Amino acid sequence: LTSGRVFPLSCIHTSASLEKFGKWEKKNRIVYPPQLPGEPRRPAEIYHCRREIKYSKDKMWYLAKLIKGMSIDQALAQLEFSDKKGAKVIKEVLLEAQEMAVRKHNVEFKSNLHIAESLTGRGHYTKQIRYHGKGMFGIMKLSRCHYFVKLVEGPPPPPEPPKTGFDQAKEYVQQLRNRTITHSL
Amino acid sequence: MGRGEESVESILRPARAAPTCLVVPMRTKRRFSVPNWNAEESIKGREKRLRASMMVSPEEHMERTFYLACTADIFDPYVPPEGDARLTSLSKDGLKQKMEKLRQTAASRLALRKVKNHDPNFSTKTFPEKAQEIFTEAHNSLANFNKQKLHSLVTERCYSEMVRGNRYKTIRWSFIESLEPPRVVHVRCHSMVNEDNLYGQVTVRMHTRQTLAIYDRFGRLMYGGEQVPKDVLEYVVFERHLVNVYGTWRMHGKIVPAWAPPKDPIIKTVMIPGPVLKPSQEYEEIKRETPEPVQMQ
Repeated sequence: LTSGRVFPLSCIHTSASLEKFGKWEKKNRIVYPPQLPGEPRRPAEIYHCRREIKYSKDKMWYLAKLIKGMSIDQALAQLEFSDKKGAKVIKEVLLEAQEMAVRKHNVEFKSNLHIAESLTGRGHYTKQIRYHGKGMFGIMKLSRCHYFVKLVEGPPPPPEPPKTGFDQAKEYVQQLRNRTITHSL
Repeated sequence: MGRGEESVESILRPARAAPTCLVVPMRTKRRFSVPNWNAEESIKGREKRLRASMMVSPEEHMERTFYLACTADIFDPYVPPEGDARLTSLSKDGLKQKMEKLRQTAASRLALRKVKNHDPNFSTKTFPEKAQEIFTEAHNSLANFNKQKLHSLVTERCYSEMVRGNRYKTIRWSFIESLEPPRVVHVRCHSMVNEDNLYGQVTVRMHTRQTLAIYDRFGRLMYGGEQVPKDVLEYVVFERHLVNVYGTWRMHGKIVPAWAPPKDPIIKTVMIPGPVLKPSQEYEEIKRETPEPVQMQ
Protein backbone atom coordinates (compact mmCIF):
# COMPACT_ATOMS: atom_id res chain seq x y z
CA LEU A 1 0.00 0.00 0.00
CA THR A 2 1.74 3.16 -1.10
CA SER A 3 -0.06 6.19 0.23
CA GLY A 4 -0.03 9.22 -2.05
CA ARG A 5 -1.44 12.64 -1.45
CA VAL A 6 -3.04 14.11 -4.55
CA PHE A 7 -2.99 17.89 -4.81
CA PRO A 8 -5.42 19.78 -7.03
CA LEU A 9 -2.78 20.39 -9.70
CA SER A 10 -1.25 16.94 -8.98
CA CYS A 11 2.21 18.30 -9.51
CA ILE A 12 3.56 17.14 -6.17
CA HIS A 13 3.50 13.45 -5.40
CA THR A 14 4.65 12.01 -2.10
CA SER A 15 4.83 8.40 -1.06
CA ALA A 16 6.06 6.62 2.00
CA SER A 17 7.34 3.46 0.36
CA LEU A 18 11.00 4.00 -0.47
CA GLU A 19 12.04 6.66 2.00
CA LYS A 20 13.77 4.78 4.75
CA PHE A 21 17.19 3.47 3.73
CA GLY A 22 18.78 0.95 6.01
CA LYS A 23 22.50 0.54 6.45
CA TRP A 24 22.72 -2.36 4.02
CA GLU A 25 21.33 -0.33 1.12
CA LYS A 26 23.74 2.48 1.83
CA LYS A 27 26.70 0.13 1.48
CA ASN A 28 26.16 0.16 -2.27
CA ARG A 29 27.00 3.83 -2.38
CA ILE A 30 30.66 3.85 -1.33
CA VAL A 31 33.06 4.84 -4.10
CA TYR A 32 36.65 3.70 -3.97
CA PRO A 33 39.47 5.87 -5.38
CA PRO A 34 40.90 4.79 -8.72
CA GLN A 35 43.41 1.99 -8.54
CA LEU A 36 47.01 2.40 -9.63
CA PRO A 37 48.03 0.23 -12.58
CA GLY A 38 50.20 -2.06 -10.48
CA GLU A 39 47.59 -3.01 -7.89
CA PRO A 40 45.58 -6.23 -8.14
CA ARG A 41 42.07 -5.72 -9.43
CA ARG A 42 39.64 -5.03 -6.61
CA PRO A 43 36.71 -7.48 -6.72
CA ALA A 44 33.26 -5.88 -7.04
CA GLU A 45 30.94 -6.15 -4.01
CA ILE A 46 27.21 -5.87 -4.40
CA TYR A 47 24.89 -5.55 -1.40
CA HIS A 48 21.22 -6.37 -1.76
CA CYS A 49 18.42 -7.03 0.65
CA ARG A 50 14.70 -7.53 0.88
CA ARG A 51 12.73 -6.24 3.81
CA GLU A 52 9.62 -7.55 5.58
CA ILE A 53 9.39 -11.01 4.04
CA LYS A 54 6.47 -12.94 5.52
CA TYR A 55 8.54 -15.82 6.91
CA SER A 56 10.22 -16.68 10.17
CA LYS A 57 13.80 -15.55 10.58
CA ASP A 58 14.87 -18.82 12.13
CA LYS A 59 13.44 -20.84 9.27
CA MET A 60 15.03 -18.47 6.78
CA TRP A 61 18.38 -18.86 8.51
CA TYR A 62 18.67 -22.47 7.39
CA LEU A 63 18.48 -21.40 3.75
CA ALA A 64 20.87 -18.52 4.28
CA LYS A 65 23.40 -20.86 5.86
CA LEU A 66 22.96 -23.27 2.98
CA ILE A 67 23.91 -20.74 0.32
CA LYS A 68 26.71 -19.05 2.14
CA GLY A 69 29.97 -19.52 0.31
CA MET A 70 28.51 -21.03 -2.84
CA SER A 71 28.80 -19.63 -6.32
CA ILE A 72 25.66 -17.92 -7.55
CA ASP A 73 24.75 -20.59 -10.10
CA GLN A 74 25.04 -23.36 -7.54
CA ALA A 75 23.00 -21.34 -5.05
CA LEU A 76 20.24 -20.72 -7.57
CA ALA A 77 20.14 -24.41 -8.43
CA GLN A 78 19.88 -25.45 -4.79
CA LEU A 79 17.13 -22.93 -4.06
CA GLU A 80 15.08 -23.88 -7.09
CA PHE A 81 14.70 -27.44 -5.85
CA SER A 82 14.27 -26.67 -2.17
CA ASP A 83 10.81 -27.16 -0.73
CA LYS A 84 10.79 -24.23 1.66
CA LYS A 85 8.75 -21.10 1.15
CA GLY A 86 11.71 -18.82 1.73
CA ALA A 87 13.66 -20.45 -1.09
CA LYS A 88 11.50 -18.77 -3.72
CA VAL A 89 12.02 -15.37 -2.14
CA ILE A 90 15.77 -15.77 -1.82
CA LYS A 91 16.00 -16.88 -5.43
CA GLU A 92 14.23 -13.70 -6.55
CA VAL A 93 16.58 -11.62 -4.43
CA LEU A 94 19.64 -13.30 -5.92
CA LEU A 95 18.42 -12.80 -9.47
CA GLU A 96 17.71 -9.14 -8.77
CA ALA A 97 21.15 -8.71 -7.29
CA GLN A 98 22.75 -10.36 -10.31
CA GLU A 99 20.89 -7.99 -12.68
CA MET A 100 21.94 -5.02 -10.62
CA ALA A 101 25.54 -6.14 -10.61
CA VAL A 102 25.74 -6.46 -14.38
CA ARG A 103 23.95 -3.23 -15.15
CA LYS A 104 25.06 -0.77 -12.56
CA HIS A 105 28.17 -2.06 -10.85
CA ASN A 106 30.27 -2.95 -13.87
CA VAL A 107 30.48 -6.69 -13.30
CA GLU A 108 31.62 -8.38 -16.45
CA PHE A 109 30.38 -11.97 -16.18
CA LYS A 110 27.20 -12.67 -14.31
CA SER A 111 28.27 -16.18 -13.33
CA ASN A 112 31.52 -14.94 -11.86
CA LEU A 113 29.87 -14.00 -8.58
CA HIS A 114 29.83 -15.84 -5.31
CA ILE A 115 27.93 -15.24 -2.10
CA ALA A 116 30.20 -13.85 0.55
CA GLU A 117 27.60 -13.15 3.23
CA SER A 118 23.96 -14.04 3.59
CA LEU A 119 22.11 -13.03 6.72
CA THR A 120 18.63 -12.86 8.08
CA GLY A 121 17.22 -10.25 10.39
CA ARG A 122 14.04 -9.78 12.38
CA GLY A 123 11.30 -7.67 10.80
CA HIS A 124 8.26 -6.10 12.41
CA TYR A 125 6.01 -8.57 14.24
CA THR A 126 2.26 -8.03 14.46
CA LYS A 127 -0.29 -9.83 16.58
CA GLN A 128 -3.50 -11.37 15.36
CA ILE A 129 -6.26 -13.41 16.88
CA ARG A 130 -6.40 -17.08 16.16
CA TYR A 131 -9.87 -18.47 16.83
CA HIS A 132 -10.20 -21.78 18.64
CA GLY A 133 -13.35 -23.74 19.45
CA LYS A 134 -15.72 -23.00 22.30
CA GLY A 135 -15.12 -19.27 22.10
CA MET A 136 -11.47 -19.57 23.04
CA PHE A 137 -8.84 -17.63 21.20
CA GLY A 138 -5.12 -17.36 21.05
CA ILE A 139 -2.94 -14.44 20.07
CA MET A 140 -1.04 -15.32 16.93
CA LYS A 141 2.29 -13.71 16.15
CA LEU A 142 2.90 -12.80 12.51
CA SER A 143 6.64 -12.84 12.11
CA ARG A 144 8.48 -11.16 9.31
CA CYS A 145 12.13 -11.19 8.44
CA HIS A 146 14.67 -9.34 6.34
CA TYR A 147 17.15 -11.08 4.11
CA PHE A 148 20.56 -9.59 3.28
CA VAL A 149 23.04 -10.84 0.73
CA LYS A 150 26.49 -9.70 -0.35
CA LEU A 151 27.76 -10.87 -3.72
CA VAL A 152 31.45 -10.64 -4.51
CA GLU A 153 32.98 -11.00 -7.94
CA GLY A 154 35.25 -13.95 -8.52
CA PRO A 155 35.17 -17.71 -7.98
CA PRO A 156 34.04 -18.91 -4.55
CA PRO A 157 36.81 -19.31 -2.00
CA PRO A 158 37.96 -22.91 -1.45
CA PRO A 159 36.52 -24.53 1.67
CA GLU A 160 38.77 -24.65 4.68
CA PRO A 161 40.30 -28.07 5.32
CA PRO A 162 39.13 -29.60 8.60
CA LYS A 163 41.50 -29.30 11.52
CA THR A 164 43.53 -32.43 12.05
CA GLY A 165 44.74 -33.77 15.34
CA PHE A 166 48.29 -33.01 14.30
CA ASP A 167 47.45 -29.30 13.86
CA GLN A 168 45.81 -29.19 17.24
CA ALA A 169 48.81 -30.82 18.82
CA LYS A 170 51.14 -28.33 17.14
CA GLU A 171 49.05 -25.45 18.46
CA TYR A 172 49.13 -26.88 21.95
CA VAL A 173 52.90 -27.20 21.89
CA GLN A 174 53.21 -23.64 20.55
CA GLN A 175 51.06 -22.36 23.40
CA LEU A 176 53.31 -24.06 25.90
CA ARG A 177 56.37 -22.54 24.27
CA ASN A 178 54.84 -19.03 24.32
CA ARG A 179 54.70 -18.94 28.08
CA THR A 180 57.13 -16.54 29.69
CA ILE A 181 58.60 -16.93 33.11
CA THR A 182 58.33 -13.64 34.95
CA HIS A 183 61.08 -12.23 37.11
CA SER A 184 63.65 -14.60 35.69
CA LEU A 185 67.23 -13.94 34.71
CA MET B 1 -11.44 -4.03 41.83
CA GLY B 2 -13.32 -0.80 41.44
CA ARG B 3 -16.61 -1.17 43.24
CA GLY B 4 -18.83 1.79 43.92
CA GLU B 5 -17.82 3.32 47.20
CA GLU B 6 -20.66 5.14 48.82
CA SER B 7 -19.92 7.96 51.13
CA VAL B 8 -19.57 6.66 54.69
CA GLU B 9 -20.16 8.86 57.61
CA SER B 10 -17.32 8.58 60.01
CA ILE B 11 -15.47 10.60 62.48
CA LEU B 12 -12.55 11.06 60.16
CA ARG B 13 -14.57 12.15 57.24
CA PRO B 14 -17.66 14.03 58.35
CA ALA B 15 -20.23 14.37 55.57
CA ARG B 16 -20.83 18.05 56.19
CA ALA B 17 -17.28 19.17 55.57
CA ALA B 18 -16.54 17.15 52.43
CA PRO B 19 -18.97 16.75 49.52
CA THR B 20 -20.22 13.26 48.76
CA CYS B 21 -18.10 11.66 46.12
CA LEU B 22 -19.15 8.79 44.00
CA VAL B 23 -16.43 6.72 42.41
CA VAL B 24 -17.50 5.32 39.07
CA PRO B 25 -15.85 2.02 38.14
CA MET B 26 -13.42 2.41 35.27
CA ARG B 27 -11.86 -0.49 33.47
CA THR B 28 -8.16 0.26 33.15
CA LYS B 29 -6.95 -3.09 31.84
CA ARG B 30 -6.89 -2.87 28.08
CA ARG B 31 -8.58 -5.77 26.43
CA PHE B 32 -7.71 -7.09 23.05
CA SER B 33 -10.67 -6.33 20.85
CA VAL B 34 -11.29 -8.26 17.71
CA PRO B 35 -10.37 -6.06 14.77
CA ASN B 36 -12.30 -6.58 11.60
CA TRP B 37 -9.78 -7.36 8.91
CA ASN B 38 -12.04 -9.43 6.75
CA ALA B 39 -14.08 -6.51 5.47
CA GLU B 40 -12.69 -5.53 2.09
CA GLU B 41 -12.59 -1.78 2.01
CA SER B 42 -13.33 -0.41 -1.42
CA ILE B 43 -11.60 2.68 -2.67
CA LYS B 44 -14.78 4.69 -2.37
CA GLY B 45 -15.35 3.51 1.19
CA ARG B 46 -11.81 4.44 2.17
CA GLU B 47 -12.07 7.87 0.58
CA LYS B 48 -15.33 8.47 2.38
CA ARG B 49 -13.82 7.50 5.70
CA LEU B 50 -10.79 9.70 5.19
CA ARG B 51 -12.83 12.60 4.00
CA ALA B 52 -15.00 12.35 7.08
CA SER B 53 -11.98 12.60 9.34
CA MET B 54 -10.16 15.25 7.32
CA MET B 55 -10.45 18.93 8.09
CA VAL B 56 -12.14 20.95 5.41
CA SER B 57 -10.08 23.86 4.20
CA PRO B 58 -10.65 26.23 1.30
CA GLU B 59 -8.99 25.02 -1.86
CA GLU B 60 -5.71 26.81 -2.38
CA HIS B 61 -4.55 27.20 -5.91
CA MET B 62 -1.07 25.82 -6.08
CA GLU B 63 0.44 27.76 -8.87
CA ARG B 64 4.05 27.05 -9.39
CA THR B 65 5.80 29.36 -11.73
CA PHE B 66 8.62 27.83 -13.64
CA TYR B 67 11.31 29.58 -15.52
CA LEU B 68 12.72 28.43 -18.80
CA ALA B 69 16.41 29.02 -18.54
CA CYS B 70 17.39 26.93 -21.54
CA THR B 71 15.86 25.37 -24.61
CA ALA B 72 15.22 21.67 -24.92
CA ASP B 73 17.10 20.99 -28.10
CA ILE B 74 19.51 22.39 -30.64
CA PHE B 75 17.49 24.28 -33.25
CA ASP B 76 18.45 23.92 -36.87
CA PRO B 77 21.59 21.93 -36.12
CA TYR B 78 24.75 22.66 -38.00
CA VAL B 79 25.56 20.04 -40.61
CA PRO B 80 29.32 19.74 -40.49
CA PRO B 81 30.83 19.19 -43.93
CA GLU B 82 32.13 15.73 -44.57
CA GLY B 83 35.84 15.34 -44.22
CA ASP B 84 36.18 18.55 -42.33
CA ALA B 85 39.82 18.03 -41.66
CA ARG B 86 40.47 17.32 -45.33
CA LEU B 87 39.53 19.67 -48.13
CA THR B 88 37.16 18.18 -50.71
CA SER B 89 35.83 21.30 -52.43
CA LEU B 90 36.40 19.81 -55.89
CA SER B 91 34.15 16.75 -55.54
CA LYS B 92 30.40 16.76 -56.04
CA ASP B 93 29.79 16.25 -52.36
CA GLY B 94 32.02 19.16 -51.61
CA LEU B 95 29.97 21.47 -53.89
CA LYS B 96 26.74 20.39 -52.25
CA GLN B 97 28.22 21.07 -48.84
CA LYS B 98 29.41 24.49 -49.99
CA MET B 99 25.90 25.39 -51.15
CA GLU B 100 24.53 24.35 -47.80
CA LYS B 101 27.25 26.30 -46.09
CA LEU B 102 26.35 29.46 -48.03
CA ARG B 103 22.71 29.06 -47.13
CA GLN B 104 23.63 28.52 -43.56
CA THR B 105 25.88 31.55 -43.39
CA ALA B 106 23.05 33.83 -44.55
CA ALA B 107 20.81 32.68 -41.75
CA SER B 108 23.76 32.86 -39.39
CA ARG B 109 24.34 36.53 -40.30
CA LEU B 110 20.72 37.37 -39.51
CA ALA B 111 20.89 35.59 -36.21
CA LEU B 112 24.21 37.22 -35.42
CA ARG B 113 22.67 40.64 -35.90
CA LYS B 114 19.87 39.72 -33.51
CA VAL B 115 22.34 38.48 -30.94
CA LYS B 116 24.39 41.68 -31.22
CA ASN B 117 21.24 43.71 -30.57
CA HIS B 118 20.84 42.14 -27.17
CA ASP B 119 24.49 41.61 -26.34
CA PRO B 120 26.68 44.36 -27.86
CA ASN B 121 29.90 42.84 -26.57
CA PHE B 122 29.51 39.70 -28.62
CA SER B 123 32.03 39.21 -31.37
CA THR B 124 32.82 36.18 -33.46
CA LYS B 125 36.52 36.86 -33.01
CA THR B 126 36.73 36.89 -29.21
CA PHE B 127 33.96 34.44 -28.45
CA PRO B 128 35.76 31.19 -29.41
CA GLU B 129 38.47 31.60 -26.78
CA LYS B 130 35.89 32.26 -24.10
CA ALA B 131 33.99 29.28 -25.38
CA GLN B 132 37.03 27.06 -25.05
CA GLU B 133 37.60 28.30 -21.51
CA ILE B 134 34.00 27.52 -20.60
CA PHE B 135 34.41 24.09 -22.17
CA THR B 136 37.57 23.33 -20.19
CA GLU B 137 36.16 24.64 -16.92
CA ALA B 138 32.96 22.68 -17.36
CA HIS B 139 34.77 19.40 -17.90
CA ASN B 140 37.09 20.05 -14.99
CA SER B 141 34.20 20.70 -12.65
CA LEU B 142 32.53 17.56 -13.97
CA ALA B 143 35.64 15.60 -13.02
CA ASN B 144 35.65 17.20 -9.56
CA PHE B 145 31.84 16.93 -9.16
CA ASN B 146 31.55 20.62 -8.42
CA LYS B 147 27.84 20.92 -9.01
CA GLN B 148 27.37 24.63 -8.38
CA LYS B 149 30.06 25.64 -10.81
CA LEU B 150 28.85 23.14 -13.37
CA HIS B 151 25.34 24.56 -13.23
CA SER B 152 26.65 28.02 -13.95
CA LEU B 153 28.74 26.89 -16.91
CA VAL B 154 26.38 24.41 -18.52
CA THR B 155 22.65 24.54 -19.34
CA GLU B 156 20.22 22.22 -17.63
CA ARG B 157 19.75 20.05 -20.68
CA CYS B 158 23.48 19.53 -21.06
CA TYR B 159 23.90 18.98 -17.33
CA SER B 160 21.58 16.01 -17.33
CA GLU B 161 23.37 14.51 -20.31
CA MET B 162 26.79 14.97 -18.75
CA VAL B 163 25.98 13.74 -15.30
CA ARG B 164 23.79 10.78 -16.14
CA GLY B 165 25.18 7.54 -14.75
CA ASN B 166 28.23 9.21 -13.28
CA ARG B 167 27.23 9.39 -9.68
CA TYR B 168 29.25 6.47 -8.44
CA LYS B 169 32.08 6.77 -10.91
CA THR B 170 35.37 8.66 -10.89
CA ILE B 171 36.17 10.64 -14.02
CA ARG B 172 39.63 11.94 -14.84
CA TRP B 173 39.75 14.39 -17.74
CA SER B 174 42.53 16.65 -18.84
CA PHE B 175 42.87 19.09 -21.68
CA ILE B 176 46.30 18.86 -23.29
CA GLU B 177 46.29 21.37 -26.12
CA SER B 178 44.25 22.81 -28.91
CA LEU B 179 45.39 21.70 -32.35
CA GLU B 180 43.56 24.41 -34.30
CA PRO B 181 42.18 27.72 -33.08
CA PRO B 182 38.48 27.38 -32.40
CA ARG B 183 36.09 29.30 -34.63
CA VAL B 184 32.39 30.12 -34.72
CA VAL B 185 30.64 28.15 -37.42
CA HIS B 186 26.96 28.66 -36.91
CA VAL B 187 24.64 31.11 -35.14
CA ARG B 188 20.94 30.71 -34.63
CA CYS B 189 18.29 32.58 -32.69
CA HIS B 190 15.12 30.99 -31.53
CA SER B 191 12.20 31.91 -29.35
CA MET B 192 10.24 29.74 -26.97
CA VAL B 193 6.63 30.23 -25.86
CA ASN B 194 6.50 33.93 -26.85
CA GLU B 195 7.95 35.65 -29.86
CA ASP B 196 10.11 37.92 -27.69
CA ASN B 197 11.66 35.22 -25.57
CA LEU B 198 14.89 34.80 -27.51
CA TYR B 199 17.58 32.20 -27.05
CA GLY B 200 20.75 32.39 -29.06
CA GLN B 201 22.71 29.29 -30.00
CA VAL B 202 26.26 29.46 -31.29
CA THR B 203 28.20 26.48 -32.62
CA VAL B 204 31.94 26.51 -32.15
CA ARG B 205 34.24 24.09 -33.95
CA MET B 206 37.07 22.81 -31.77
CA HIS B 207 39.94 20.52 -32.70
CA THR B 208 41.68 19.55 -29.49
CA ARG B 209 43.71 16.88 -27.78
CA GLN B 210 42.28 15.45 -24.57
CA THR B 211 42.65 12.48 -22.25
CA LEU B 212 39.76 10.77 -20.56
CA ALA B 213 39.69 7.94 -18.05
CA ILE B 214 36.54 6.67 -16.33
CA TYR B 215 36.85 4.46 -13.26
CA ASP B 216 33.89 2.57 -11.86
CA ARG B 217 32.80 2.31 -8.24
CA PHE B 218 35.68 0.07 -7.23
CA GLY B 219 38.46 2.04 -8.86
CA ARG B 220 38.81 -0.19 -11.91
CA LEU B 221 39.37 1.35 -15.31
CA MET B 222 36.19 1.32 -17.35
CA TYR B 223 36.99 3.40 -20.38
CA GLY B 224 39.94 5.24 -21.90
CA GLY B 225 43.32 5.71 -20.36
CA GLU B 226 44.95 8.49 -18.44
CA GLN B 227 48.10 8.64 -20.51
CA VAL B 228 46.41 8.13 -23.88
CA PRO B 229 45.81 11.47 -25.61
CA LYS B 230 43.12 11.56 -28.25
CA ASP B 231 42.55 14.06 -31.02
CA VAL B 232 38.98 15.22 -30.95
CA LEU B 233 37.09 17.31 -33.51
CA GLU B 234 33.98 18.65 -31.86
CA TYR B 235 31.15 21.00 -32.65
CA VAL B 236 30.01 22.42 -29.32
CA VAL B 237 26.83 24.45 -29.07
CA PHE B 238 26.66 27.32 -26.59
CA GLU B 239 23.44 28.97 -25.62
CA ARG B 240 22.34 32.14 -23.92
CA HIS B 241 19.00 33.49 -22.86
CA LEU B 242 19.33 36.81 -24.72
CA VAL B 243 16.40 38.61 -23.19
CA ASN B 244 17.71 38.00 -19.69
CA VAL B 245 20.13 40.75 -18.71
CA TYR B 246 22.10 38.47 -16.43
CA GLY B 247 22.26 35.59 -18.87
CA THR B 248 25.58 34.00 -19.64
CA TRP B 249 26.84 31.88 -22.47
CA ARG B 250 26.67 28.27 -21.36
CA MET B 251 27.46 24.96 -23.00
CA HIS B 252 24.30 23.44 -24.42
CA GLY B 253 25.29 20.32 -26.30
CA LYS B 254 27.45 18.74 -28.93
CA ILE B 255 26.74 17.92 -32.54
CA VAL B 256 28.00 14.52 -33.53
CA PRO B 257 28.34 14.32 -37.31
CA ALA B 258 27.25 11.19 -39.11
CA TRP B 259 30.73 10.60 -40.52
CA ALA B 260 32.44 10.70 -37.10
CA PRO B 261 34.78 7.77 -36.43
CA PRO B 262 33.34 5.22 -34.00
CA LYS B 263 34.35 5.48 -30.36
CA ASP B 264 36.59 2.96 -28.64
CA PRO B 265 34.76 -0.02 -27.17
CA ILE B 266 34.58 -0.34 -23.39
CA ILE B 267 36.88 -2.73 -21.58
CA LYS B 268 34.14 -5.19 -20.77
CA THR B 269 32.36 -8.03 -22.53
CA VAL B 270 28.64 -7.43 -22.74
CA MET B 271 26.13 -10.23 -23.22
CA ILE B 272 23.36 -9.66 -25.73
CA PRO B 273 20.53 -12.01 -24.75
CA GLY B 274 19.48 -14.47 -27.39
CA PRO B 275 15.90 -15.21 -28.48
CA VAL B 276 13.53 -16.81 -25.99
CA LEU B 277 13.03 -20.42 -27.07
CA LYS B 278 10.00 -22.64 -26.61
CA PRO B 279 10.80 -26.12 -25.31
CA SER B 280 10.32 -27.70 -28.74
CA GLN B 281 12.47 -25.25 -30.67
CA GLU B 282 16.16 -25.46 -31.40
CA TYR B 283 18.42 -22.44 -31.57
CA GLU B 284 19.48 -22.88 -35.21
CA GLU B 285 15.93 -22.90 -36.54
CA ILE B 286 15.14 -19.37 -35.45
CA LYS B 287 16.42 -16.52 -37.57
CA ARG B 288 19.28 -14.97 -35.78
CA GLU B 289 18.94 -11.20 -35.41
CA THR B 290 21.26 -9.53 -32.99
CA PRO B 291 19.24 -6.76 -31.33
CA GLU B 292 20.66 -3.27 -31.13
CA PRO B 293 22.51 -2.67 -27.86
CA VAL B 294 20.45 -0.32 -25.73
CA GLN B 295 22.22 2.06 -23.40
CA MET B 296 21.65 0.82 -19.87
CA GLN B 297 21.50 2.78 -16.61
